[in-house]
Amino acid sequence: MIRLALRHLGARKWQTGLTLGGILLGSAGFVVISGFMLGFRETLLDQLINNNAHVRITAREEFLTEHGLDRAFFPEDTHVAWISPPAGRKDSARIENPWGWMRRLEGDPEVASYSQQYRTSAILSRAKVTVNASLVGCDPERQVRLTNISESMTSGRFEDIGRGGNRLVVGDALLQKLGGRIGDTVLVTSGTQRPLPFRIVATYATGNRAVDEATAYTYITDAQKAAGHPNEINEIGVKLWNFEGARTYAGTLAGTSGDRVQSWDQLAESFLTIFKTQDMMRYLITVVILVVAAFGIYNILSMTVNQKRKEVAILRSMGYEGADVLRLFLTQGLFLGVVGGILGMGFGFVVCKYLATLPSPRTPIGGAATNLSISFDTAIYVTSALLALLSSSLASFFPAWNASKLNPIEIIRAGAE
Amino acid sequence: MGLVAKELRKSIGNPAVEILKGLSFAIEDGEFVALTGRSGSGKSTLLYLLSTLDPPTSGEVEIGGIATNRLDSRELHRFRNEKMGYVFQFHYLLPELSALENVLMPARKGGRENEMRGHALDLLREFGLHEKSDRLPRQLSGGEQQRVAIARALVMNPRYLFADEPTGSLDSVNGEKVMSIFQDVNRRLGTTVVMVTHDPEFASRAKRAIHLVDGRLATPT
Repeated sequence: MIRLALRHLGARKWQTGLTLGGILLGSAGFVVISGFMLGFRETLLDQLINNNAHVRITAREEFLTEHGLDRAFFPEDTHVAWISPPAGRKDSARIENPWGWMRRLEGDPEVASYSQQYRTSAILSRAKVTVNASLVGCDPERQVRLTNISESMTSGRFEDIGRGGNRLVVGDALLQKLGGRIGDTVLVTSGTQRPLPFRIVATYATGNRAVDEATAYTYITDAQKAAGHPNEINEIGVKLWNFEGARTYAGTLAGTSGDRVQSWDQLAESFLTIFKTQDMMRYLITVVILVVAAFGIYNILSMTVNQKRKEVAILRSMGYEGADVLRLFLTQGLFLGVVGGILGMGFGFVVCKYLATLPSPRTPIGGAATNLSISFDTAIYVTSALLALLSSSLASFFPAWNASKLNPIEIIRAGAE
Repeated sequence: MGLVAKELRKSIGNPAVEILKGLSFAIEDGEFVALTGRSGSGKSTLLYLLSTLDPPTSGEVEIGGIATNRLDSRELHRFRNEKMGYVFQFHYLLPELSALENVLMPARKGGRENEMRGHALDLLREFGLHEKSDRLPRQLSGGEQQRVAIARALVMNPRYLFADEPTGSLDSVNGEKVMSIFQDVNRRLGTTVVMVTHDPEFASRAKRAIHLVDGRLATPT
């Protein structure tokens, strides 16, 4: 039956070619769209995972409530009415028990490394230029184990901030905004303290413009000093051996403390929502293309069945059963699906290879890659093949089923009339 | 044993119209029988019932001692494939296959294509088509196409050959050739031939004629 099925297809080269083209485009479309979107996603995830801590512990900001101070001022009274209720934020946000966290994280087998930080808003000024930035105080030895910042250095070494006091590592873009050079001194103030001079000793470029033009790193005690909060820690970054377990791990830590504990995917919730939308879009586009291709198969087979009614009748008279006829037409649909799918995957692969040679525009959070990041994940190709096979199976089943149910006598009678 | 029809009735349509009205007769093995009658007399319908292509509304067809209505679908298809050959007014060759491939189609169903290839070529040679075995049906004349269809019907060496107006679409020369083949097959191989025909000349070439009038036997059998 396979030979006959192939002959049927071969006899209608134009229709067969068009249908194959439809499946090819559908399949290739899925491969290219998925390769592009997943490649983009991998780049973003790489940036999110490797340029940041997997779990971030930060001080929870606490705000005064109307009755939050009742007990402190009126311990005996149960009903207190304020003429002017208390309001505002409680002191500066800081981690109350950093040593407790360190003991907890130090012995944890899930933790690859961690780093305590003091992060504050600061104003950097050089001559008449002032730039708002985030000043991150950290232990450089720990910080380079936490993120891949050392791989993003464009001049100097990140560890240089630990060699002597008041040293800064700034993003290339921030240095450009300041109009400075390596070795220049800038004044740094948190706004409440007098400005302190810091020397720029190194620069980095993560590719994430939002970071590169607004983040400066210094040694932790220097940042605390600049902010006027000696010995305070307001952030601990944690790197896990398995980043995929970050959300669960963060949940476990959050239950043991009043501090805020968030995983990288919770912090990047908006990006991950985009990924879901992307997934929906690429499946939707592919389904539309494959539905069109499936209609092509359905049409071509329905027409074939109609044209081959007499042949179906004669096959039945020769002892071919309904199942044989079903197989004859189903084979044609599946052949179109399989060959179209394979050609589509091949074509999609070639297009993806080409796209991977094109220069990449900056991504929202990272642009270090020089070429477009395209995913060649096997799952894309397997899914593409399955989608092509599924659509062709469904599209060919109904005409094939109808053919298998044809009554040979009616056809022969009709042919004789 | 032969071929036995017992009280065969066939109704079609809604409301039902009775085409065959209780036919009973027997055809011996090795007979050459012509089914004759005017248009609408039910001769083609009778042929389809005898050849198991169409089930009777009531009654029974027994072939070689086997009640065909008791065979399940698979057994019936195998029986048809191995024991019966069909020739229709139109050849109904598969246009994508060569003459030889068409002839071998019944053998292919039983997985005996290679085994029967020599026999198929012998049949084509016998019918003067050996040189054209690789040609597609559209490259053959009407008479040649019908001879290919007869070779296809005979390739499995069937015990029964059913033909529905096999000369109906042929000129007299090709019609004569077809009839000669049928007679030869019947005489030489002992194949039982049941043929529907309008043509009294061709009907007279059969050993016996069963004449139908309005769904009933017109002559005692």
